[in-house]
Order: sequence, then structure tokens, then C-alpha cells
Amino acid sequence: MAQQLTVIVDGRPVTVVEGQTVAAALLAHHQRVFRRTAAGQPRGLFCGIGLCFDCLLTVNGAPNVRACQTPVAEGMMIETAAAEVW
Amino acid sequence: MSRRVQLAVVGAGPAGLEAAITAAEAGVETVVIDGYTRPGGQYFKQPLFGLHTEISPEAKTVFARLTAANVELLTDTVVWGAFSASHSEGWVLTLHGTAGPSQLEAAVLILATGAYDRPLAFPGWTLPGVMTAGAAQTLLKSQAVLSGRRVLLSGTGPLQAAVAAGLVEAGAEVVAVLEAASLPWWQLARYAPAMWGQWERLREGWGYWRTLRRAGVPYRTGWSVVAARGREGVTEVSAARLNQHGASIADTDETFAVDTLVIGYGFLPAAQLSRLLGCEHDFRPEAGGWIPYRNELMETTQPGVYAVGDGAGIGGAALAQVEGRIAACDAARRLGQLAAEVAQTEIMAQQPALNREQHFARMFGALFTPAAGLYSLALDDTLICRCEEVSLGDIKAAVEAGAQTVNEVKGLTRAGMGNCQGRMCEALTARAIAAQTGAAIEMVGEMTARPPLFPLTVAELAEAAEL
Repeated sequence: MAQQLTVIVDGRPVTVVEGQTVAAALLAHHQRVFRRTAAGQPRGLFCGIGLCFDCLLTVNGAPNVRACQTPVAEGMMIETAAAEVW
Repeated sequence: MSRRVQLAVVGAGPAGLEAAITAAEAGVETVVIDGYTRPGGQYFKQPLFGLHTEISPEAKTVFARLTAANVELLTDTVVWGAFSASHSEGWVLTLHGTAGPSQLEAAVLILATGAYDRPLAFPGWTLPGVMTAGAAQTLLKSQAVLSGRRVLLSGTGPLQAAVAAGLVEAGAEVVAVLEAASLPWWQLARYAPAMWGQWERLREGWGYWRTLRRAGVPYRTGWSVVAARGREGVTEVSAARLNQHGASIADTDETFAVDTLVIGYGFLPAAQLSRLLGCEHDFRPEAGGWIPYRNELMETTQPGVYAVGDGAGIGGAALAQVEGRIAACDAARRLGQLAAEVAQTEIMAQQPALNREQHFARMFGALFTPAAGLYSLALDDTLICRCEEVSLGDIKAAVEAGAQTVNEVKGLTRAGMGNCQGRMCEALTARAIAAQTGAAIEMVGEMTARPPLFPLTVAELAEAAEL
């Protein structure tokens, strides 16, 4: 069994599995809105292979990180724009 | 740091790995560069470290051969630029990896950049919960995560059945699989000879079919999604029957309540690098769109630049591997590592497999290339360029203002200027222009590829400039 880790998603601790990407970990917790566009539209995972750049979110303070290409790590701070409604 | 090697292979999928292993075994100094953390591409996808999901026996064999061969592997490294070398014959690749920027000069290049899911624009396609078949497959195969609980699949080709069967086995409810092609029996019968000998593929297809039948999943041919709806993500999908041109037939709409819509309308070749290198391209819809011209040795119109696999025309993993071997043999001959007669014999030995797989690829293209009508699902307020939020209406306005090519529309609207560099919207923009002007699709052109091919920060670019 793969190891369980804790990451912080929008300030809340969430249990995830080592080896998962941020995108997979969020979807496993039924969170599918990752960011909002300039026009305020919600976006999430689309191409899943790192090419569409629609799953961007903020990881450990760094903006525009692809959720589908970033493996989770213990204590990782993940900020989505799920709660912000313009 | 810039250094020079004999051969650089871009892409570590089936085509690139086969090319690299073959070349290295012939004694060529070989570097393979791949943007992902682990080699294998999409077809031999490996799970990330820590997760214990299965990889296929075929993939295991390839990775064992890779380990045994003297191949240098640069993973987590993107190729963002390519130029002809200034002081010698050959090419310079500008790279960015976990260790920062670097340059690699190579006498010969083999481009094996693969393909990605062809998106289709329809109202609601940007909603969270709408994802490509590749995304759903990756989540399932390398992440062991379900894309959703109640899923509709819409698209064309057998990957859909594979993804649907995988989702069913993992416990998702698949409400239906919609296949855009109508696949009448007489059309299938015509291609029966191309299926002869493809026993492994037939066995695999039969397995998916049986899984879907057992779960009672409806498989409808001649149907497609026409719209997705929801506020913060998809909650409802409308589908309709298609006519022979792929356009939806009025009043055949049916609505499905879902939390996930998986779309897979075939694949687009990732040909950005061959464009950047100045290789000439040809528009071949049944091979996925714009692909580099190649001779029978897989060499493009740029000397010493070979292109193999799906990035040079959609043909599947088996064809990609054969092309990789052919290109590598000729590259080894060119580099003086293989005698001309030996290379010739090796290349001749690949011809039966090449013919068989090309035959299969042609059948595949004939059956599963999306019909033109499928490009007419977008409404004026539907986005075509997801990154820069450019709608069909914006593109129509640009055409009315005189734009006739994808580059002209790009200049007026910013479609294709965002983070994905047009990978998602180029083909859709081209179709939208052609529909407005009545021009043949190949006359609308391809978007000019410019470095960086992948987004870099200004700090990263500044660092690269110091090299």
C-alpha cells in the first residue's frame, strides 16, 4: 500500500496518497475546480498530460503550477481558486 | 552548459524509446529527452513513484531493453527551442529541466513527440468535469483515481471503449459510450483485410466490449455530445444523433445527468518542434492534421532531422516502434556507426511490419477521423481558445475584418497565444475560419511555432540567456 501524506488545500489538511499528482488528489476528494480564468470562469483538469495548462494552481506559493504534472508531497500548500467567486 | 552528442531523440514514448535503443545498440552516442518524470510516453505510461499500479508486460520488456542499452535519459526536461547549429552541421536544442536551463547540440535529431487528444468545442466544454479520454485514462492507469462517479464518454475510436471498460471495472457508473462514427457493417467489412493478423488488438477490443456488455453500458454509434451544462462543473450533458456529415440532427437530443464527461475525438500530432525546425508539413486529415513530410527513411525535409511515431502522423504504438527502428538505422548509418549494407538489410527487414501497420493506420484513419460537421457544435459565445478566452464570435468578427488564416486570426484575437501555445485551439480555429470563408481547411494554414514551445518564466529565460 502506498504511503499516506497530508497536504494543505486552501488552508485545510487533506489526506492524500504518495505518488498521486495534485490533480488526482483533488479529484479523489471531489474537488474539481482548480482555478478561475480572467473572465471568472471555473476550470479544472482537462488534457491531463501537461499540455493544456488549464489545471494551473498555486503550490507552496508558486503560481501557475500544473496540477496534473505535480506530485503531492508531505506538507505541500495547495491553493485553488475554487471558493473565489467573482 | 552546451555539449555535443551524435544523436538526440526527443520524446520517450514507443517511437522514441525504440529509436534510442536501436541507435545505442548500434553504438551511436544517444540522448533521449522527455518532459515527463518517467519514460514511456502515454502508451507505456508508468505510475509515479510510490504508487503500485500495473504496467503491461510489453512495457516491462521495453524498459528492460532501455536499461540494458547505453542510452542517456533526460527526464523532466522540456525542449523549448530548436535551432540549426552555427559552427557545425547539426542542431541545437534548448532545454529546461529540474536542474535549470541547458543546451544540447546533436548531429542528428529524431523527433518522437507523440500526440494528444483532439479536443472538440461545444457549449460547456470548458467546465470542470469535462476532460479528455487521455486525462481519464491517466487518472485511472497511473493514479488509480476515478475521473467521476457518473460518466458519459463521447468521441470516436476504440480508446473510448478501453477507457469506459477501465472505469466500469474501477467502479464508476458509465451511463453511455457515444461513438461519432456510424460504423455501418459494409464499411467495417471493407476493412476486414486490414484487421487480418491484428489478433492481439481484436482480443483486446473483445475484452472491452464484453466488460461494457456485462455492465449494461449502451454503446451508440452515430451519436455525439452537443452541449455540457453546469455552474461550477458539469452536471448535465446533451447528446444528439449525427447525420452522415457529422452534424447533429434536430430534435434527436437526449439529456444525461452526469458528473463527468470524457471526450476523445482521436488525436492531434504534436508537430510543434518539426515546425520550429523549418521542416515542411502537409495537411493529412486521416493522419491527424499537419504532419512533416518524410521520405521512406523517416527523414524530414531538413537534413538529419527524422520524425517518427504519432507526432509525424497518427498510427499507433506498433507503427511508431517500426518507424523508430528505421530512423535509428539510417541515423546510425549517417553517423558512421552502421555500414550502409547492414543498415539497408535492417531497414528492409522492417518493411513487412511497416506495411502491415500502415495498412492498419489507414483503416483507423478512414473509420475514426471526425467528420466535418462535428466542428459546427460551437455557438457564438462558445470559447474556441481556452487560454485567452476567445469565442467563436470573436473569430467570426476577425474573419469579417479580413483575416483568412490561423496566423491572421491569432494576430487579431490572441487565439493560440496563451499558455498552451495553440495546442488545444489551432485545429478548432482553422475549422472555424474555413466554415466562415468557405476555404479548404489546408488553405487556412498552421500556426507558426515560436520558442519557447512551453511557457517559461522571465527568470528562467534570463538564466538560459547566460549560457
